[in-house]
Amino acid sequence: MQLFRYSTSIYGGSDVLIGASWDLLKWFVVAGAVIIVLHAAVKAVTSAAG
Amino acid sequence: MTVSQANVSVAGSASGRIRRHLLVDRAYHWLMAACVVTLLATAFLPIIGYKFEWLGLHWTTGVALSALVLIHIVRAVIWQDFWAMMIDGADLRNGWRHLARALGGKGVAPGMPGKYNGLQKLYHAGIAVLVLSTVVTGLLMLLKIDTPLWRRNPYVLADYQWGWIYVVHGFAAMALITMLMVHIYFALRPDEWRLTRSMFRGWITRREFEEHHDKQRWAANEY
Repeated sequence: MQLFRYSTSIYGGSDVLIGASWDLLKWFVVAGAVIIVLHAAVKAVTSAAG
Repeated sequence: MTVSQANVSVAGSASGRIRRHLLVDRAYHWLMAACVVTLLATAFLPIIGYKFEWLGLHWTTGVALSALVLIHIVRAVIWQDFWAMMIDGADLRNGWRHLARALGGKGVAPGMPGKYNGLQKLYHAGIAVLVLSTVVTGLLMLLKIDTPLWRRNPYVLADYQWGWIYVVHGFAAMALITMLMVHIYFALRPDEWRLTRSMFRGWITRREFEEHHDKQRWAANEY
């Protein structure tokens, strides 16, 4: 998994950084889902425990 | 008005409503929400395969969001209670006590928050960092496009500098998706519904105020 996007330099030098990798997009969505599920689970357990 | 004066006002009021958000602040919230959703949609829908002419709507909405954020900062500093949104020692103590109890401890019960609890303040700080990051980098990125108001001039920065500006813009935008998901989740939870409702109507009930807020920490006024 790449963290960044690069483009090849037209002058033949090293690759040029052009931004964040969009492969990470799904992981930010997964992070949101994990936070929501964990919070809902903790709330459900603590409510059931009284 | 001091906290004690406000409490006298609240206690002596015949109204059953406590003002939580002025109309101007609710308008700011929903306009900002519309801008953020539009910006995320125009940014990421083309990336996941829904191709359309996104750039014009994206940059104009970004400029609108920048203006809204600027107005909000000025209001927060001059007219609003700026420190009501800052995490303080009481928030840290309450957070620790909540955590200790959640882990089965039997320590001192956490106190009630003022207008905002510690997690809400933490969330606001996170949103502030992310939105300001996208706004600052987005305004710089305007130098790379032609608009009716200016001609593009990408040569003011080196390629590697533009690269890092795009990196910050991209990471902050993706993190905003996570934050938006969490925000909508809490807004829809029944135990937080009073706060969501107050963002529409501007008020919470007196009973909700007394059950969920510390009168000494929130100088509340009747609606």
